[in-house]
Amino acid sequence: MSITELNISPVGRVEGDLDVKVYIDNGKVTRAHTQAAMFRGFEKIMEGKDPQSGLIVTPRICGICGGSHLYCASSALDTAWGTKLTPNALLLRAIGQASETLQSIPRWFYAIFATDLANKKYADKPLYKEVVKRWSAYVGETFQVGLTASGLPVQIYALFGGQWPHSSYMVPGGVMCAPTLKDITRAHAILTQFKNDWLEPVWLGCSIERYMEIKTWDDMLDWVDENESQKNSDLGLLIRAGIEFGLDKFGQGVGKFLATGTYLHKDMYNNPTIEGRNAALISSSGFFDGENYHEFDHMKISEHVKHSWYKDQEDGLHPWDEPLPTPTKSQTLHDSNFDEKYSWSKAPRYDGHAAEAGPLARVIMNANPANKDHQIQDPLFGDIMKKLGPSVFTRVLARVHEAPRIYKFIEQWLSEIDLDGEFYIKPVEKDGKGFGATEAARGALAHWIEIKDGVIKNYQVMAPTTWNVGPQDGDDNPGPIETALLGTSIEDPSDPVEVGIVARSFDSCLVCTVHAHDAESGVELSRFKL
Amino acid sequence: MANVLWLQGGACSGNTMSFLNAEEPTVVELITDFGLNILWHPTTGLQIGDQVQDLLKDIISGKVQMDILVYEGSIIQGPDNTGTMNFFADRPMMDWVKDLSKVAGYVVAIGDCATWGGINAVAPNPSESTGLQFLKKNKGGFLGADYVSKGGLPVINIPGCPAHPDWITQILVAISVGRIGDVLIDDYHRPKTFFTNFVQDGCTNVTNFAQKVDGGFGRRGGCLFYEVGCRGPMTRASCNNILWNRQSSKTRSNHPCLGCTEPGFPHHDLKKGSVFNTMKYLGTFPKEVPEGRTKLAYYMEAGFQKVMPTNKPITETSK
Ligand code: SF4
Ligand code: SF4
Repeated sequence: MSITELNISPVGRVEGDLDVKVYIDNGKVTRAHTQAAMFRGFEKIMEGKDPQSGLIVTPRICGICGGSHLYCASSALDTAWGTKLTPNALLLRAIGQASETLQSIPRWFYAIFATDLANKKYADKPLYKEVVKRWSAYVGETFQVGLTASGLPVQIYALFGGQWPHSSYMVPGGVMCAPTLKDITRAHAILTQFKNDWLEPVWLGCSIERYMEIKTWDDMLDWVDENESQKNSDLGLLIRAGIEFGLDKFGQGVGKFLATGTYLHKDMYNNPTIEGRNAALISSSGFFDGENYHEFDHMKISEHVKHSWYKDQEDGLHPWDEPLPTPTKSQTLHDSNFDEKYSWSKAPRYDGHAAEAGPLARVIMNANPANKDHQIQDPLFGDIMKKLGPSVFTRVLARVHEAPRIYKFIEQWLSEIDLDGEFYIKPVEKDGKGFGATEAARGALAHWIEIKDGVIKNYQVMAPTTWNVGPQDGDDNPGPIETALLGTSIEDPSDPVEVGIVARSFDSCLVCTVHAHDAESGVELSRFKL
Repeated sequence: MANVLWLQGGACSGNTMSFLNAEEPTVVELITDFGLNILWHPTTGLQIGDQVQDLLKDIISGKVQMDILVYEGSIIQGPDNTGTMNFFADRPMMDWVKDLSKVAGYVVAIGDCATWGGINAVAPNPSESTGLQFLKKNKGGFLGADYVSKGGLPVINIPGCPAHPDWITQILVAISVGRIGDVLIDDYHRPKTFFTNFVQDGCTNVTNFAQKVDGGFGRRGGCLFYEVGCRGPMTRASCNNILWNRQSSKTRSNHPCLGCTEPGFPHHDLKKGSVFNTMKYLGTFPKEVPEGRTKLAYYMEAGFQKVMPTNKPITETSK
């Protein structure tokens, strides 16, 4: 069988206009390229502007992870200016970050991911009918409940930040708000509503506490079979259908994971420094090379542009040393030369390696035996990685696994706010360099700033999507999604739904269609819906 | 019943996220109960990819009727007016928009990027972004000052960064139920029903504004106008009447209004000293005064009230 070339465009815009090209040989993907197709130049816009511009500008990089950008932007200024942060300030920032991530779990699962499982590819599977009944777009029974409930956690955000998306309430030195008892009480009530509307009855079929007892993959399987309520919950169905549909068999990826960690402990980061950050994290940072854990060091991050539409830049520079981006001419997916430049995304590397960012990376770090008492200690995904390894299924499971824990955190942090305490300490502005990072819903996010003569000299943003959809690096090694697509079986070349599922398992908020082109004649073979 | 096509150009998806937060009605209800037929949407649409390309071509040729074109994000014209910094479905997005705008019943621009260029268009504007019918305050934009859609209206602008979900859903419903005649628009093409009053109307700090009591970050009460740059008195929007996420607004959570529904956002182009800081005249007086007041009158009144011994702060307590 000859090689078939698939141009997947558009794949969707939420992650920065992703297009994908794959080559299929004997039913399997042998080569894949990801293309980010839109350029806005936010870093360039911030040059020469007020040092606090990042607080307003960077949340607008992504309307989905806007609060996470704010968390990074304020942290970058905290480290550059040497601010002081009160426990209340750290708690309120963590609550905002956690609310945004909690919102994203049902919104991503129902609106973006689960509708794929209603694809006709799975029509012969016994659970297909149930999946269609629940998860079909707009009309599915639990699609409607889940999508509506996804608006609740950000109501909590609004109580403290005024609105979601696009608040700027986190500022160097703390937060703008000074909540009252009524705000705290309302936040608790909204959180409870989220639990009662969706999280427990629809998603888990059990209490949060029962779910959090699960420590191993075997526990997880036992939990599914424990009773009808758990088995028939949406999570129970995801596990049963996921395995029945074979989602655990493809989309492995690079097998190396990076998390920058998040939620700075209220009593451990009151004098923010870059060096002190790792130890103060509640959700720990780290690099996992497939076997061993390594301590996270932002100086080991570099970016490559050999295959990105930028010029005047060496490969492998640390963000502090990178010039602001100078765009070059771009091409459509169809016209791109993949030996040359082919994406607006740069290719970040950690210690020279491509690494996957996202919830899976995060829960792998949570299983690190070296985590301290104040850090999350959850062995589950250490075990799942050993037994199942990475795959579409593992990635999706990691994403939804976080909901109960985040719920508990928000509840706890709300109760720790001291209404008599301080929320903001005005910092003194100065020149210098700063670094701020967090875990956005979809993974490692970091900002680097350099302030000179009282204005921004350099601002560099590295988003989780940059890690995942980045192109090849200076040595032509592929990026994580490019790698994850390799070896994927395309069961029916006229309906390669698997390509979309792999891309979406990285939390690619997108829908796509694939054009199939015959490699030799270039004639379009067929069109199909993913 | 109205056919809606939703496209995103130079966008962050924030308006889509805001739209998904809609409560009255919810997005699900909009579709199941209010007869909105979404032909395609980049995040939630059912018809996708090549079907989208076919759909776009069918709309352009008149085979499929498009009652409303919703556009989110700026029109990216770079580099050198080629639009190739934003390919969409094998073609510069701006070319699709040009063709689609000719057949649209109504064109609705959502969010600051689509209305006036937004953050993307801040100098040096690396992507050569513009809004659909305005660039900042200047009429024209991508479609030109004279553009009117088939329904007889220019681009309906729903600004905001992002736009409030109710502003979006209510306009979509108004068009789909045939009440568009009740929608009046102002000089910036904003529906007057949302953008006549100022953000300050309904702000819980107005007593302190009148009393000239300063607020600040991390403490209750006080008005954010005098020190931290609140633009509530000169920004037309209903943020303090139709609350955000059903709960609050920026100023209610002690966050100065950034003036995001006005074409100058981000104001002063983010220059040094302009972010979360009230730019001052002679070191004391706010450079910008509430809309509808002369500077002199305002300064005299403010100076007078500041020294009035009877003015006592009225602030909310935390407990
Ligand atoms: S805080 Fe802003 S909106 Fe509220 S009264 Fe003061 S100036 Fe007006
Ligand atoms: S309060 Fe001001 S900045 Fe906030 S959304 Fe309303 S108009 Fe925009």
